[in-house]
Amino acid sequence: MRETDVLGEEAVTPSAVPAASVAADDASARGLPRFWPILLLGAAVVPGGVIFAAGRWADAPALQAWRTVCLAVTVQALPFLLLGTALSGAINAFVPARVFSRVLPKRPVLAVPVAGVAGVVLPGCECASVPVANSLINRGVTPAAAFAFLLSAPAVNPVVLTATAIAFPGKPAMVLARLLASLATAAVMGWLWLFLGREKWLRPTVRHTGHQPGHNRWTEFRRGFQHDFLHAGGFLVLGAMAAATFNVTVPRTVLDTFSGSPWLSVLFLAALAVLLAVCSEADAFVAASLTGFSPLARLTFMVVGPMVDLKLIALQTGTFGRAFAVRFSTATMVVAVLCSALVGGFLL
Amino acid sequence: MRRPLQVALLVLSGLGLLHASLFTDLFLRYVKEGMRPLLIASGAVLLVLGVAEAWASRPDAGTAHAPHDGHGHAPHDGHGNASRHAVHGHDHGSVPRVAWLLLLPALSLLFYAPPALGAYTASREAPRAVDRQSHFDPLPATSPLPMTLTDFTRRVQQDREQAIRGRTVLLTGFVTPEKGRDTWYLTRIILSCCAADAQSVKVRIYGTPAPAADTWVSVTGTWHPGGTLGTTSAQAAMDAREIKKIPRPINGYTDDLPLVPTR
Repeated sequence: MRETDVLGEEAVTPSAVPAASVAADDASARGLPRFWPILLLGAAVVPGGVIFAAGRWADAPALQAWRTVCLAVTVQALPFLLLGTALSGAINAFVPARVFSRVLPKRPVLAVPVAGVAGVVLPGCECASVPVANSLINRGVTPAAAFAFLLSAPAVNPVVLTATAIAFPGKPAMVLARLLASLATAAVMGWLWLFLGREKWLRPTVRHTGHQPGHNRWTEFRRGFQHDFLHAGGFLVLGAMAAATFNVTVPRTVLDTFSGSPWLSVLFLAALAVLLAVCSEADAFVAASLTGFSPLARLTFMVVGPMVDLKLIALQTGTFGRAFAVRFSTATMVVAVLCSALVGGFLL
Repeated sequence: MRRPLQVALLVLSGLGLLHASLFTDLFLRYVKEGMRPLLIASGAVLLVLGVAEAWASRPDAGTAHAPHDGHGHAPHDGHGNASRHAVHGHDHGSVPRVAWLLLLPALSLLFYAPPALGAYTASREAPRAVDRQSHFDPLPATSPLPMTLTDFTRRVQQDREQAIRGRTVLLTGFVTPEKGRDTWYLTRIILSCCAADAQSVKVRIYGTPAPAADTWVSVTGTWHPGGTLGTTSAQAAMDAREIKKIPRPINGYTDDLPLVPTR
């Protein structure tokens, strides 16, 4: 039995580790000016590598579990990422900018909540919303409104709310609280961006004109779709690796030690939502299973999860740039915890 | 990233998804059954994208696609991005190198798919809470009585009528050894969405040495007394009378009723 385990590990080496290190070597050899992707890659791969090394003499199944979870997150998210990038490609190529200026209120302050509520129409998980929000900005939608959409879409769409209702049978207050807290967070973040946000935090490439006269729209759609998918897909895999690392290294039993103190448990579940990176369509079931925690803490888990998590941070870094992702995720985290505490305090 | 590489990435990712969902049942190790149509569709779309890219960039396509290069149709290589173009070349396909990472899941699915979660994961997680049930129907008279692990746990911990007392039941699941004890857990792992949110249901088995970890077995036996039956003080445990190895079910992440072995 030991023999086969060891053999299993050896066979892992070629597929998992070198490909990543080759990418890193490649990047550094060319003297890439921004070295953050390597750091991010390191953050994702090094813990996995440590598990791998530890597994050599102790726990080969740890690596197996890591690979399974990593692949599971990727496979689960890929269809939604494809949907999101196809939609963003289509918006870019087919939808004239005037459509958005007609639909959204002229004043950005009003456009923010409208865009937040519009998140209801995008059924899917958070991976789909990043490219869509990006293409909205490209088409002239004010970034504040696009960010409100980005935050609310994965949390308030019918699929997710239905899942929440199923996961918490007989507690409609939980569904309502999730809806309200998510919308509130999205709107507050949109307004925050309006008043405090700096255009320079966004990667300068976000300005783009969409359809070019004289070009074939279908070709534009296909190439935009393809580019966005390859781009975001790489970051998705990176995020999945990081999430799998925490998933495997931190056993669920550790959680119970934090469930005693009400405030600590809220903060702890908020942090857990970031680290676990569970898809927003499933996080209600995970929240329901955290039985030792107060309803308020579980609400926070479900509000923070779709807005800030490891794979989202990776996707946002790739799409909007690191300066943006760091500030935006931190602020969102704080606002989401406050909003859930407020809404949950009244409703639960 | 050169265009042929993009073609290769797209085609491999598409093939990987199709291989896992259309031609085999590999995807059941990672996600739920309902994802199948979405995965097949995604695989097909990726394959079509790859083929379209290959067709558009074939050598004799000549000027057909030339105007598209350098202008950029996707946000990330817009005109204000001269520095990145300088680094990555002017080709439209200035996809960052992070896209290489997509090779890992693609190749992993095609050639070296990791196994479904098993004893390792189950041994590190507290068993999931069983939902409350207030009304229990009388148990059928069959003996041994096939039950799911969830149902067994519920009967032991919630049924005030204690209908389970003295009954011979048949449970199936995989083996999770317990370190330093001569008991082991009969286990099922249940997903709500994908393997990242796996939760386990466990029943402790007394009376036989543990088979190898991750072996699928059916166990016949009776409730192992401990605590008060019908309350949460009762232990979800069983005295095993007979153990049989069974093949792993196609979809292992469920807590289904055991098919009664007729052999």
